[in-house]
Amino acid sequence: MVKLKISKNELIEKLNEAVKEGYNYLVKITAVDYIDHLEVIYFIRNIENKKEENIRLDIKDGERLPTIVNIFKAADFYERELSEMFGIEIEGRKVERLLLEKWDGLEAPLRKKFEWGADYKRD
Amino acid sequence: MLTKINVGPIHPSTHGVLRLVVTLDGDTIVNVEPHIGFLHRGVEKLVENRMYMQSESYMEKVDYAAPMAYSDLYVSAVEEAMGVHIKERAKYVRLILLELQRIASHLLWLGTFCNDLGQMFTMFMWTMKDRDLVMNLLQDATGSRMFYVNMRVGGVSMDLPPDFEEHAKSLLDYLEKRIKDYEAFLEKNPVFIERTKGVGVLSRKDAINLGVTGPVLRASGVNFDVRSAYTYYAYEKLNFMPQIQVKGDVFARYKVRILEMKESIRLIRDALKEMPEGDALGMPIKLISPPIKEKEVIVRRELPRGEGMMYMVTDKQKPYRLSIRAPAFINLSALNHMAQGAKYADLFAILGSLDLVMADVDR
Repeated sequence: MVKLKISKNELIEKLNEAVKEGYNYLVKITAVDYIDHLEVIYFIRNIENKKEENIRLDIKDGERLPTIVNIFKAADFYERELSEMFGIEIEGRKVERLLLEKWDGLEAPLRKKFEWGADYKRD
Repeated sequence: MLTKINVGPIHPSTHGVLRLVVTLDGDTIVNVEPHIGFLHRGVEKLVENRMYMQSESYMEKVDYAAPMAYSDLYVSAVEEAMGVHIKERAKYVRLILLELQRIASHLLWLGTFCNDLGQMFTMFMWTMKDRDLVMNLLQDATGSRMFYVNMRVGGVSMDLPPDFEEHAKSLLDYLEKRIKDYEAFLEKNPVFIERTKGVGVLSRKDAINLGVTGPVLRASGVNFDVRSAYTYYAYEKLNFMPQIQVKGDVFARYKVRILEMKESIRLIRDALKEMPEGDALGMPIKLISPPIKEKEVIVRRELPRGEGMMYMVTDKQKPYRLSIRAPAFINLSALNHMAQGAKYADLFAILGSLDLVMADVDR
């Protein structure tokens, strides 16, 4: 597995290059909260020869990411999940609605600063 | 003029709580927008707050139609993180149980799918009865019927009982006969053929670009199965062959699953023959803070619904982050593309052919 660390501005360019090399299948987009920064990971695969690559980039709180729906249609649900769970805004999307029902306005739950059960108090 | 119809969240054909907002032009579908999240429990967040092996039983509830496949996926991630090798006999025991689980899951799908098509309850009764027999066998081997929690780091919780082989062989003979009956019953049935052939076609190129997985991907002619592509356990030794169809319609997805059940039966037979003697037991579950070696791991397993992947960033006591790639989630995202241009009545044939479990979609 090839790991590739890139900066935010190179993302579209690198993915287009990867598609030309035959990486035609998006496995997953995910993110990890390392408190001082967020790491976003794009898992891509060449479905013919089964090679995999993951493209990683670090972003700061409040930074936006470009959408990749034009390259991989599979990214649609993953990007929506990303904005919902990590509060990362994605630029250039047609559908702005979030994924889960009645979730608007809630704090991003997969960030480490989100305390679960914070509103529950025991007498 | 366009009409909007709301389907669900409670609807007999959605297999859980799924809401679809369907835009129609006359009787033709223009757009389908799935609204999900009614079963969201925040599994990925909950795992971050529990010791490694505490999460195993919770993982099974992510996909309640094939629980063992998910606990195997999670335990494999922990094994990888610890750098533990699985015992040789345990590989075969796991393979046998997981393939039985796949048969049970596909049987459940077949019954409910035929209900969606209006083949009311004949197939459902048959497949549920046969699934029950598979579950009896799994109960013999693990001690419980529904949620097994039998995977342990390095092996399984208990070895196969002495009379397992005999029971399994007679059950497999029976199932083989039954699957032939199902095929004869369905494939000569004009209603079934009309409602499945040429419906919800997904071309090879679109299937790859939309990222669909499992039987849906293989029904579109893509030769990709994790069991052969990133082989694990004993699949390579048993010469596992991925089952592929090329048409990409609802019928092809049905056929792939039928062929997979047959392939599973063959795999179990061969595995029973070639299973080595020895010890299959894993570490006791008391070991809740295992020595973790890897900083991050990626594991892939072929679940009954498609490729399941877990990306885990580890910490000393608990996972720092666990990201689950749920096969039903990504298959649902392709629904809009498949349903566009189809008739409204075909929507549930297409939805049914994806084999969704809503708990898996929402997580």
